Amino acid sequence: MIEFFIENIAISMFIIFVGLTLYITYWASKRTKTAKSFYTAGGEITGFQNGLAISGDFMSAASFLGISGLVYLTGFDGLIYSIGFLVGWPIILLLIAEPLRNLGKYSFADVASFRLKQKPIRLLAACGSLFTVILYLIAQMVGAGKLIEILFGLPYYAAVLIVGGLMILYVTFGGMLATTWVQIIKAILLLSGASLISILVLQEFDFNLNLFFIEATNIHSKGIDILAPGGLISDPISAISLGLALMFGTAGLPHILMRFFTVKDAVQARKSVVYATGFIGYFYILTFIIGFGAIILVSQNPLYLDDLGGLIGKNNMAAIHLAHAVGGEVLLGFISAVAFATILAVVSGLTLAGASAISHDLYANVFNHKKTNEKKEMQVSKIATIALGLLAIFLGIIFESQNVAFMVGLAFAIAASTNFPILLLSIYWKNLTTRGAVIGGSAGLLTAIILVILGPVVWVDVFKNSQPIFPYKYPALFSMSVTFLGIWFFSMIDKSKDAQLVKSKFNSQFFRSQTGIGINKAVKH
Amino acid sequence: MTKNKTELLYNQLSKTRSQIITSLLFITILGYFGFIGVIAFNPSFFGQMFQGLNISIGILLGFLLILLIFFVTLVYVYLANKKLQPLIEKIKND
Repeated sequence: MIEFFIENIAISMFIIFVGLTLYITYWASKRTKTAKSFYTAGGEITGFQNGLAISGDFMSAASFLGISGLVYLTGFDGLIYSIGFLVGWPIILLLIAEPLRNLGKYSFADVASFRLKQKPIRLLAACGSLFTVILYLIAQMVGAGKLIEILFGLPYYAAVLIVGGLMILYVTFGGMLATTWVQIIKAILLLSGASLISILVLQEFDFNLNLFFIEATNIHSKGIDILAPGGLISDPISAISLGLALMFGTAGLPHILMRFFTVKDAVQARKSVVYATGFIGYFYILTFIIGFGAIILVSQNPLYLDDLGGLIGKNNMAAIHLAHAVGGEVLLGFISAVAFATILAVVSGLTLAGASAISHDLYANVFNHKKTNEKKEMQVSKIATIALGLLAIFLGIIFESQNVAFMVGLAFAIAASTNFPILLLSIYWKNLTTRGAVIGGSAGLLTAIILVILGPVVWVDVFKNSQPIFPYKYPALFSMSVTFLGIWFFSMIDKSKDAQLVKSKFNSQFFRSQTGIGINKAVKH
Repeated sequence: MTKNKTELLYNQLSKTRSQIITSLLFITILGYFGFIGVIAFNPSFFGQMFQGLNISIGILLGFLLILLIFFVTLVYVYLANKKLQPLIEKIKND
């Protein structure tokens, strides 16, 4: 038994993790009887717990392996992504978190439709959410399948099935409560694992960062250039466009926004962002050290290189190989299990957010208004969870050999161009009207999608055309401008009765968003 | 309590909050787009080494920016708990 454990540390760790999380799901299922507990864990998560869970949602395997891989490859440029992902958090804290908690119930569409007309605005918000969630899910599933294929030697489709199956179990039976605890456990594991690797790496340099960077620049083929901005961003438009997508996209990710309904009040919502920002910032510093550590300890070691001199399993495996280099089989096994756990936790959060868009926004408030009740809504959300899980498995298998790297970028662009502007303006801009929000929001959504398709990442890399029709990789600068201008213009010329009504509700909505007064009274949407 | 007093408190809350938010937002956006701006317009500046060490200015400022971002969230929560929350509680009690 003990020998089996040591020889198969990754599989053993993974089985322990799955056992524990299934037990939590069983425990949570007994507490998940109402729609409120299903979507929000009863609103009883503390600020600290939610901070950990948020950071768990955010520190996906893609960002752990992807950013450390990017640092391994390009050095400094990896930092551009890290900082962009992090800077979304003060935006959420300062502008979104408290009003969201004070106005919403289960989804950010609750806030947008607080005074705007229910059906059209929820339909748009649900589209924005589902696009974001599904794109993110595909990227995670494909990444998961490939990673597990390498780490555990399982066939790709089996890995995708396991991830999809477990995720369906967690979410359907345990709802938000189970998802939150899976996320918390995974966040702790990932932070400990990444800390351990970083400490072991820096120990070899007596924690002297100067020596550490000297060694890395001596080894890397680009030498000292890896300490400076490289080719990731080649022109000012791309720099600003990427910057906008990262900064404001985070504030439009439905699975992140949903987390704010799991805490008791605005005070806890605030607290959770500080903890989350601290954990995420610390984590990005670690990924930077890990990427540079891999340059030093992995890139020269034939054990980790294939015949062509590249990393076995490509650059995203830099962190995994480094774990082996500094901690042997045991740390490799631990980090592999953590990577798997990370994927499971993130896809669960995504699926729950997608299911709430389908059941709470589309089913309960758009298609079946007035005829529904909470019990029915919860049944629908469970069916939606299973459907989304199956869809994720299906798409994961279909996209196996496609380049899915653009999908997370597109998800951020859509979040920044549709979800975020609607949310922001519905909270702060008195003159917003339903028509303006719907026209501007849909125009931004379409612009983001079309520009990505016509741009270099899809038109050239996926469709193999020689020249892109739209020259920039990142559409956010353009699509966000379309959204904000569209919303402004069509709101200003909107003289309808509904527009008057919507404006007249602003002051009382703003009062509630600032104070939270009225939050406990039942709001029937 | 009188309606007037609530209104005064609420006006004070809105004013204080928007002051806090605007200044912190300004710091965040300035820091971040300053960083992005250097990468876009003058990348070689970030390649220079800091005081004879083998640590570039870009990496140093990048790490400091991560700290600044965390610091902004910390300051906001400190101010919100100290200055905004008492006002909110007073309005609630009225």
